[in-house]
Amino acid sequence: MVEPTAIITGSADETRALGETLGRVLARNDVVALTGDLGAGKTVLVQGIAAGLGVVGHVPSPTFNILLVHRAPITLYHFDLYRLEHVRQLADIDFYETLESDGVCVIEWADRFPDELPPDRLDITIVANDDGERELLTAGRGPIARKLARRLDFEWRHRIGGERS
Amino acid sequence: MSARVRPLLETDLERVVAIERATFPTPWTRGMFVDELLQGRSRAWFVADSPWGLLGYAGLMEVDGEGHILNLAVRGDARGRGIGAALLEAVFDEALRRELARLTLEVRPSNVAARAMYAAAGFSEEGRRPGYYADSGEDAIVMWTGPLSSEGMQIAMSAVSKRAADIGAVTIERDGSGLEATSSNDVILAIETSCDETAAAVLRGGREVLSSVVASQVDFHARFGGVVPEIASRKHVEAISGVVDEALTLAGIGLRDVTAIAVTYGPGLVGALVVGVAYAKGLALASGLPLVGVNHLEGHLFANVLKEPDIEPPLVALLVSGGHTSLIHVPAWGEYHTLGSTLDDAAGEAFDKVAKALGLGYPGGPAISRLAVDGDAAAIPFPRAMINTADLDFSLSGLKTAVITYIRKEEQAGRELNLPDISASFQAAVIDVQVSKALRAVAETGVSTFLIGGGVSANPALRAALTTAMNARGVRVSVPPFDLCTDNAAMIAAAAHFRLGRGETLGPSAEAIPDLRLG
Repeated sequence: MVEPTAIITGSADETRALGETLGRVLARNDVVALTGDLGAGKTVLVQGIAAGLGVVGHVPSPTFNILLVHRAPITLYHFDLYRLEHVRQLADIDFYETLESDGVCVIEWADRFPDELPPDRLDITIVANDDGERELLTAGRGPIARKLARRLDFEWRHRIGGERS
Repeated sequence: MSARVRPLLETDLERVVAIERATFPTPWTRGMFVDELLQGRSRAWFVADSPWGLLGYAGLMEVDGEGHILNLAVRGDARGRGIGAALLEAVFDEALRRELARLTLEVRPSNVAARAMYAAAGFSEEGRRPGYYADSGEDAIVMWTGPLSSEGMQIAMSAVSKRAADIGAVTIERDGSGLEATSSNDVILAIETSCDETAAAVLRGGREVLSSVVASQVDFHARFGGVVPEIASRKHVEAISGVVDEALTLAGIGLRDVTAIAVTYGPGLVGALVVGVAYAKGLALASGLPLVGVNHLEGHLFANVLKEPDIEPPLVALLVSGGHTSLIHVPAWGEYHTLGSTLDDAAGEAFDKVAKALGLGYPGGPAISRLAVDGDAAAIPFPRAMINTADLDFSLSGLKTAVITYIRKEEQAGRELNLPDISASFQAAVIDVQVSKALRAVAETGVSTFLIGGGVSANPALRAALTTAMNARGVRVSVPPFDLCTDNAAMIAAAAHFRLGRGETLGPSAEAIPDLRLG
């Protein structure tokens, strides 16, 4: 088991900035699996990731459509498994094929089907604290994602260090 | 681009095997195809050939006066262009020529597009072969046609095969002037499967609803506490033939009385859309009728036209549903400009998620609006996000989070939740922002007509607030009848009537477009 790294953000804007930092270091075929309660800030984080990837335009919640595709230099496939109830529905939405495509896949409510996630992925769990802060636990599962997690941690420290100095 | 259907030759085998390998988990070998060619009269194999190479193939095996369809495959980059249907027609033609009694085939349950096409072409599911597919252990669904010599789709299919044998994989435009001459009395059969409703309707002359059938799955949802997108494909496949037949029966007509087939081709869930599109394509091909593609959102606007036929652009429309919250400027029918939309959650999604947090059932909108009647809308000051920004975008995620945070704090403090007050206060926050942005959109565009559409437009408080605010400024308001707020096919037929009048039809290249935009 990989020991997760904890990052605290103090506002939705800061969560979005963290997402943007992540978006800038993502590469083709990377998979980010997001977990967190209703209102934790998953979509906010993905909006940041989209901005970091260079997506232009709105990045709304994909809850209703389950998958929204955003074109950018690297295509962003934004999944939301909230409404799914059965594993076999993943095939209905081209889940497995999309994971194999050469874009970036970000999956909200990834904990719905933990066994269906690819072995090499970046897990991010968002926990809302009572005072409005968010704790984001990141853990790289697999060699590529472990590198990605270290890179994110490094870039984020650099970014907030730069802003605070 | 065009393709020709012709008999399979030995020189095609390399290309056939390449498509076979790319299509099936347990492909036939070259040797097996050679064996097929050596079988003589009991077999008939066809290929679809084009300047871009071989696009697909199909085989027919004759056994005891019946026809078994063997492999039917279309090259990956040529799917959704009517190639499969053209090959199927060639097989039908051959079966009729040989005076075969019936046709049968096996199909994977997961191949919903193929199942829909076969169903539209007159096949019905009559049995299963358990564990038939070795790679996945899936059952095979066994489909049969009725007697081929009878009057029916197969005959009609044969009649149009000469035209379809030479497929244009580009839009086939019909003669516009001819359509205009008949459009005032046209009879449109419309199919809608963009999300979780399987629906069909028959509309005459653009406004007379002869039938509107919705296979509502709300009970099904209520058991699972959310929209179950399995509906997206399997449930649609199971329901669509029955729903279409019911629509025709209730309308008291047959397919021969129909002027055009209409279908929602986006936006929506891909697995859901493909079923409706494949079925409609099959029907259009089998009957030789034009196929009209409709944007689901445009359909919601036309729900209002069904009720108030004198509504004319220029106008502004607010589309509010589970997946959409948008303000649209319509200077003329067919011309759409999105003025603003939600940056995060759609209004219906916010209702559903807050309802879930409150422990209310699905769907969340009606539950919250019923509770809100007895609540104090001013009890809890939930945020009105972006109400004062100059743009026409919405943001509902912050409101949802504020309600959930409030619920958690109340529970931690050991206080009982006041469901009516929370519902009324939440609903008021949603409505305030909708009304404020709608008024700004009307002022900025200078229109004097305003429409609401989409599932959330059934919310009585939202309808009342918008009507009052607009009427105070001399703006005419149209709200759809309650039964046309949620997804239905009558509104799709109404939009199709308008498109047909302009000669806008889809060809065999029609495809589902999940992220289709309006304007």
